[in-house]
Amino acid sequence: MKKKGSLSLLALMLVFSVVLAACGNNNENASGSSSPSASAGASGSAAPSGKPINLYVENEIKNLSQWAASDDISFTVLNNVSEGLYRLDADNNPQPALAQDVAISDDKLTYTFTLRDGIQWSNGTPITAADFKYAWLGEMNPTTATNGYSFILTDYIVGGAEYAAGTGTADQVAIEAKDDKTLVVTLKQPTPFFLRLTSLVPYFPLNEAFVTSQGDQYGLAADKLIYAGPYVLESFDIAAGAVLKKNPTYWDNSNVKTDTINLKVIKEQSTALNAYKAGQIDRVTLASSDVDANKSNPEFGTGIKFRTTYLQFNTKAEGLSNVNIRKALSLAFDSNILAATILNNGSSGASGLIPDLMSGDGTKTFRELNGKVIEANIEKAKELWAQGVQELGSAPKLTLLIADTSEVKDVATFLQSEFKNNLGIDVAIDTKTSKARNELMDNNNYQMAVTAWGADYDDAMTYMDLWTNHTPYRGNYESSEYDALIANAKKETDDAKRADMLLQAEKQLVDTDAVVAPIYFGGYSFLQKSNVTGLIYHPYGNPVEFKSAVAQ
Amino acid sequence: MKRYIAKRIVYLVLTLFIITTATFFLMKNLPGTPFDEEKLALLTQDQRDQIYASYGLDKPVIVQYVNYIGNIVQGDLGTSIYYTGQDVKDIIVDRIYPSALVGLQAILLGTVIGLILGVLAAYRHNSGWDYAAMIVSVLGVSIPNFVLAALLQYYIGLKWGILPVAFWESYDSSVLPSVALSFGVIAIIARFVRTEMLEVLQQDYIVTAKAKGLGQMAILSRHAVRNSLIPVITILGPIVVNLLTGSLVIENIFGIPGIGSLFVDSIKTNDYATIMGVTIFYSAFYVVVMLLVDILYSLVDPRIRLGSGRE
Repeated sequence: MKKKGSLSLLALMLVFSVVLAACGNNNENASGSSSPSASAGASGSAAPSGKPINLYVENEIKNLSQWAASDDISFTVLNNVSEGLYRLDADNNPQPALAQDVAISDDKLTYTFTLRDGIQWSNGTPITAADFKYAWLGEMNPTTATNGYSFILTDYIVGGAEYAAGTGTADQVAIEAKDDKTLVVTLKQPTPFFLRLTSLVPYFPLNEAFVTSQGDQYGLAADKLIYAGPYVLESFDIAAGAVLKKNPTYWDNSNVKTDTINLKVIKEQSTALNAYKAGQIDRVTLASSDVDANKSNPEFGTGIKFRTTYLQFNTKAEGLSNVNIRKALSLAFDSNILAATILNNGSSGASGLIPDLMSGDGTKTFRELNGKVIEANIEKAKELWAQGVQELGSAPKLTLLIADTSEVKDVATFLQSEFKNNLGIDVAIDTKTSKARNELMDNNNYQMAVTAWGADYDDAMTYMDLWTNHTPYRGNYESSEYDALIANAKKETDDAKRADMLLQAEKQLVDTDAVVAPIYFGGYSFLQKSNVTGLIYHPYGNPVEFKSAVAQ
Repeated sequence: MKRYIAKRIVYLVLTLFIITTATFFLMKNLPGTPFDEEKLALLTQDQRDQIYASYGLDKPVIVQYVNYIGNIVQGDLGTSIYYTGQDVKDIIVDRIYPSALVGLQAILLGTVIGLILGVLAAYRHNSGWDYAAMIVSVLGVSIPNFVLAALLQYYIGLKWGILPVAFWESYDSSVLPSVALSFGVIAIIARFVRTEMLEVLQQDYIVTAKAKGLGQMAILSRHAVRNSLIPVITILGPIVVNLLTGSLVIENIFGIPGIGSLFVDSIKTNDYATIMGVTIFYSAFYVVVMLLVDILYSLVDPRIRLGSGRE
């Protein structure tokens, strides 16, 4: 009887499907971009190279206007349909992209880029040095750029900060398009990672004529953009995803082996896993709970992200103004247990603020140079706590502020139980939406909060610079020694000396002053179909390169 | 009747105005801003102010409100901040189609099956049919649709490979979410129809019809079912609004680019124009459907005369 029931159900569905398929088609044409595109048809074009690759992103593609984009998903798309002067390779080293090479002056302040011959936008217009100048100035200008990323240019380029603040003019910004092929940039201070910066989206070129011709429509649809990267967008819908096609006008298109990349939006991790198993997508990021079941799968892999999650202490808050209390809390939890048993996703316990593998002095990584600046030590934590309580007169009542994401909730519960077991204290957890958490922090209305920072570029400065602004969000930390270390590191031309100052700064921030307690370094686990190769995932900046990806 | 409808439309506009006003001021009390605050924190206050100013967020709330109402009257729902520069009207139009298709199919499927089950249960009262139909109905109400969705996705999508697991690619993509959503409708409709049918079947006019020598089928289709439909229409109003405007959970599970997730996301991201746009759209849809339901009554049951009684 059960079978009969499901059969008649199927029959009914069939009837409906005929009726509705008809109206579906009409609507498809009317609603344009949101219409389901036949994925099978994609492979129809004469394809001499690899099969289409199907990937997904975990949230909507918010916007593709370079001056507005600030999230990883927009960057995922933009990095593959456009390009900067340099592009990161599989080892995260910058390789010439739209630039052919660069001449760096002896004082390491002036960069003279020479663009490649014959590079052009997807509409046939040549890509010139002026396109870079236009894009960079626009990013600095708060009336045109709204993504909050101007600092990534103005911190380095002479005249940028003044222009952004409205006290200087565009002419005073040291970006010079000498001729169509030559771009000269002067930096405020020697910046060993400047070439890496030019691989980031805010450093991509924009064609002024095209951007102004589109007005406020720029970037809102696939035909309202022009492309300089290995792929062009065939279609794009905020909520459904994007279809990327090989760009025939790209300078290195002979090395682009895949004609079509389908990028879907899937917000549910379990849905993504099912879609992966059903063969609808070629790679999936695993939830912690799915890791153990898939560890023995040959398609399993792990990767890291330059993203450190840490406890931010408010150094002006009641109780936490005492450095011994802060130190005690920093030492009272074992983040290796957290990473191995609770997160279980490729993350690792933090041994400092600067993540594993981030560059140090050019030969060794920062972590190799600085070792462990934080390590659980329960005995010492108890001692410091007792000392702090004595100095304060009584044990402080503590509340931990967190955002309401499942991972952070797990972390907070772990910290709570560690503080209880190791220090014998009850810490309350205050869970807010991330907007509300930010507002409380900005308003100096918190004691300590779990927060995270993802590196914008491969250098410790991307972290260390944050605590020089003395804001409540950064714990009201104000130390002239620390500020001096950072300021001097910015001026230093010798890589080893510069690294040394940053090493000291990390020790001071984490150990001596205990302003932050690093918890874990971000990582992820994934499954990837064995026939797909050449997908390059970066731990920072642009998340992924499709350029060399191939599906056999 | 005409006067009644005209009056209802005035009320309708008034209702929408109140909803719009209330939502606007409540929304402005949400913590945070529509921007990426961590990035914004790296800018100077002047730069931040300029960004706020470019969206008109520097003005007093009351001025923003007046501007907003002015724009709405001209049919302009504004542009999204989160989806930078996208027209809110376009976003809603793009996102409503998948939600509406899935919702409509769920309603059709649910109503037809629910009707059949309900009629069957009442007609064969206290028989195996009745019990079976009511078990289905209880299950339909008590099992959350996301559980069903997950089961359907796992078995029909993944294990048996009959239909796509997720995404919005072809018509097939809409089948599983529609089925998942239809269970609740089946359950509600079946119960309502059964209860009402049982009552109708006791009525004098049914006895008269039987005495006239009408056949069973004729009695059922001509008298019993038609008279049982009134409560179904009442309940169908809210169901239509609910389902056509999308379900966040179902949309997320099946990766459907629908409007349900848009609404929730817009609130989480403080995307003011989108929150307002979707709220206005939802409420307008709701009040219009309610009006249509009232008009439908008079068509199904001529005894109900709109506007003739005291208002």
